[in-house]
Amino acid sequence: MGIRRRGALSGTAFIGLLALLVSLGGCAVTAQVASPEPSASAAPAVPLGDLPRPADPRAIEGPSTALLADAAVAPVEDAPSQSLPSTVESQELAGPRTVTVVDTSRVVAIDLAGSIAATAWGLGFGSTLVGRDQSTTFPGAAGLPVVTSGGHTVNAEAIIGLHPTLVITDGTVGPRDVLEQLRDVGITVVFLRNAPSFDGAEELAREVAAVYGAPATGERLAERIRAEVASTEAAIAAIAPTPGLRMIFLYLRGGSGIYYLFGAGSGADVLIDALGGVDAAGAAGWQGMQPLTDEALVAADPELVLVMTDGLASVGGVDGLLDTVPALALTTAGQHRRIVDMADGQLLSFGPRSAAVLDALARAIYAPEPQ
Amino acid sequence: MSAIAIRARGVGRTVDGAPIIDGVDIEVRYGRVLALVGPNGAGKSTLLGLLAGDLAPTSGAVELDGRPLTAWSPRELARRRAVLLQSNAVAFSFTARQVVEMGRAPWARTSRADGDERAIRAALAETDVAAFADRAYPTLSGGERARVSLARVLAQDTPVLLLDEPTAALDLRHQEDVLRIGRGLAGAGRAVVVVLHDLSLAGAYADDVAMLDRGRLVAHGGPREVLTAERIEAVYGTPVRVLPDPDTGRPVVLPRRALSA
Amino acid sequence: MTSRRAVVFTALAVLLAGGVLASAALGQLPISPAEVLGTALRGLGIDTPWAPSDRLVEQTLAQIRFPRIAMSLLVGALLAVAGAVMQAVFGNPLAEPGVVGVSSGAAVGAAAAITFGASALGGWSVAVAAFVGGFLATLVVYTTARSRGRTEVVTLLLTGIAVNAFCGAVLAFVLFAGHTSSREQIVFWQLGSLNGSRWLDVLVVAAVGLPSAAIALGLSRRYDLLSLGERTAGHLGVRVESLRIVSVVVVALLTGVAVAFAGIIAFVGLVAPHVVRMLLGPGHRALLAGSLLAGGTLLVWADLVARTAVPAADLPIGMLTSLIGGPFFYWLIRRNRAKAGGWA
Repeated sequence: MGIRRRGALSGTAFIGLLALLVSLGGCAVTAQVASPEPSASAAPAVPLGDLPRPADPRAIEGPSTALLADAAVAPVEDAPSQSLPSTVESQELAGPRTVTVVDTSRVVAIDLAGSIAATAWGLGFGSTLVGRDQSTTFPGAAGLPVVTSGGHTVNAEAIIGLHPTLVITDGTVGPRDVLEQLRDVGITVVFLRNAPSFDGAEELAREVAAVYGAPATGERLAERIRAEVASTEAAIAAIAPTPGLRMIFLYLRGGSGIYYLFGAGSGADVLIDALGGVDAAGAAGWQGMQPLTDEALVAADPELVLVMTDGLASVGGVDGLLDTVPALALTTAGQHRRIVDMADGQLLSFGPRSAAVLDALARAIYAPEPQ
Repeated sequence: MSAIAIRARGVGRTVDGAPIIDGVDIEVRYGRVLALVGPNGAGKSTLLGLLAGDLAPTSGAVELDGRPLTAWSPRELARRRAVLLQSNAVAFSFTARQVVEMGRAPWARTSRADGDERAIRAALAETDVAAFADRAYPTLSGGERARVSLARVLAQDTPVLLLDEPTAALDLRHQEDVLRIGRGLAGAGRAVVVVLHDLSLAGAYADDVAMLDRGRLVAHGGPREVLTAERIEAVYGTPVRVLPDPDTGRPVVLPRRALSA
Repeated sequence: MTSRRAVVFTALAVLLAGGVLASAALGQLPISPAEVLGTALRGLGIDTPWAPSDRLVEQTLAQIRFPRIAMSLLVGALLAVAGAVMQAVFGNPLAEPGVVGVSSGAAVGAAAAITFGASALGGWSVAVAAFVGGFLATLVVYTTARSRGRTEVVTLLLTGIAVNAFCGAVLAFVLFAGHTSSREQIVFWQLGSLNGSRWLDVLVVAAVGLPSAAIALGLSRRYDLLSLGERTAGHLGVRVESLRIVSVVVVALLTGVAVAFAGIIAFVGLVAPHVVRMLLGPGHRALLAGSLLAGGTLLVWADLVARTAVPAADLPIGMLTSLIGGPFFYWLIRRNRAKAGGWA
């Protein structure tokens, strides 16, 4: 009796493990081949309102790719002054804890979306970075050694090998205790909040600046982000239709069969709002990030779908996507093939480039280049 | 009259409302071989289990050496009585010798542990299993396993032995060997209880025979007294003829078979 | 000790020592063997010129690599002993601790702690929740399987299946209800990892696990007798019911504490005792001692691969042990079945 059961159990365990292995491999592989950032070479200077565009954005057919006019992160100051040591609140599991930052000469800034590194760069502290996460691919930082393989796991020794003096992160890469363990070796570690929203991006600017002991610079970056986002939002509002386009964000990892819908609180809703669209998932009551269901998709009936570039490639492009998610083909977006993709490291990264991301997306949505 | 080893008084065991054993009074004496016989389902193995102390009676009580079984610890019991069950599966591939060694377990850390080697060797020799003592037990045939298990019981070296169908898987010669060993043990003063299917074997070797029928003790006495044609026919439901053995004079039971024309 | 036993134990000890040395010397931070030795000696209070001058290197060894090696040794040893005990209690070489519900109960506890952000005990929250979950599940399995003061092995197995299924369902729901980040954390926990092991964790695992293993070793002879069958073991003086209770508790402790800190690491409890049984025979004293060594060795080498195979990555160790353990186990089954005339 025990024998037969074990046979069935080990059989299923085997298959389950193989599947998991494939998914992990898929995870590692897709992460490994994260494309370097493309950038449009022509016409960055035409303001949004002056672009030639169709009168009715709903009549646009076919997919578009949103490209950042300039992938580089422009620092707000070149040699910001610092007042060290600085004391900051680190967001630990057990509650906030005071951490003193003494040395910021060698910094590893890592998080899932790459926003902390971008923020550090945007503050003008790019030269202190000695290691990066998978998503940090903007010019200048792309050459740094990666310390998060597979996107979200860290190897303590690999980080230590860079001899950092400071690690700044937000808990989206881990496991947490490995990062906390770095403190045992004498490295300062600070956990930041990093909410996925434009307000969050401003806060992040202030928090990272505080870590570096440069609060004034932080204010400047935060203010710049706020101003840029506000003006871009206004420009978009001027060209966006009323009512706004129903949009959804899909998270795809084709190799592992992962299809998620990002709803309220995931950051996608903030983006969609700013783009003058209607968050179809949030309107349907979708919270956070959930696996995709056909009914949810059809009920939301999006007119436009946002995806990450590598994610789209992993499901075989637009055709592949419509094949594997037939429910999508039933929606307005599917029928008009309105899929807008953007590089993984940019789309949901809320940081110094947020306004540029918004702008690029708006162009792709309302005034796409003819394909 | 020799001393009483085990006494069962009014012992009964009911399982799910059905009485497997009902109101049995029986005594097992030192120096004698007691054969427990009866048709299938009569309750022989259950009665043996009750006498051994692994099954609890739902009525009545069993005493060993004058003390109720419930007052004995498992270890004390193990030093006083050894049990051989019908099924002798061993979960892992211990050698035959290692299985026999396990019979000495109750004596670990006592002075009698010094006699382990001797007891094991004697047991292996008596049951004629020395030849494959180093083979893995699960690779042995049914008969070989039965003999090795008996060797284990012998190695345990207890005053009382309870054997459940020790001859079931054995060939003619080894069947005789086993019962002869039993007689020898009894001759040396031990109490031996053997559950047997073969009535002639019971007749040949037992000092006392107890016959069970549907949970009740229907006869208890010497072989000639108990093994009568009328009784056997009544209990087993098949006609038999009982004849005296030409060499020993003990009862031999022969089923009456109609010649096919 | 027979010469065969001496040879096998020596070989295991050598493999173990080799694993420890290799693990100490290799890692994604390049450290020379001399520095390793120097740090170890410094830790014992002996100052030598080999001690590394870079404090970071020394600290990495002392605070990150050494505790991780110690943890892999411990967890491997404890899981192997737990497996051997389960096999003895069930009289079946294919039994493993998961049967009594420890692993799935622990998984539910850990998942709940991760998803609902339990942080009352800070970093300890997940470990404690996992341990409690594992223990509760075992308790439920055991008390449900008891009737009239006895536990039948088959009932224990069946109840274990039911509880495992239930825990699996709860786990699936928690995974569904949680955020993506907790989902991924849970999945990684389920695959096992020694990443992040610290000395305090090692201490706790040792404090709970080693006495439990010692108890199991003390029961060796009784496990031998148990392989004759429960009734026969009883006839030979073994209190079978007590033995079973103690064994289940020991397994719950051993597995629970290992799973709480290292996640679910499969196959060690199956492969290690089986290999030792093949080499040394089924006698439980040698089997349990050998399993301790074999399990520790297995995991030390596996963890070395886990943290060095892919640059900047830390592979889930449960995945490795299953990758190797699965086919190996399959081969064992095929090879051994005919040879031993049945299940060895």
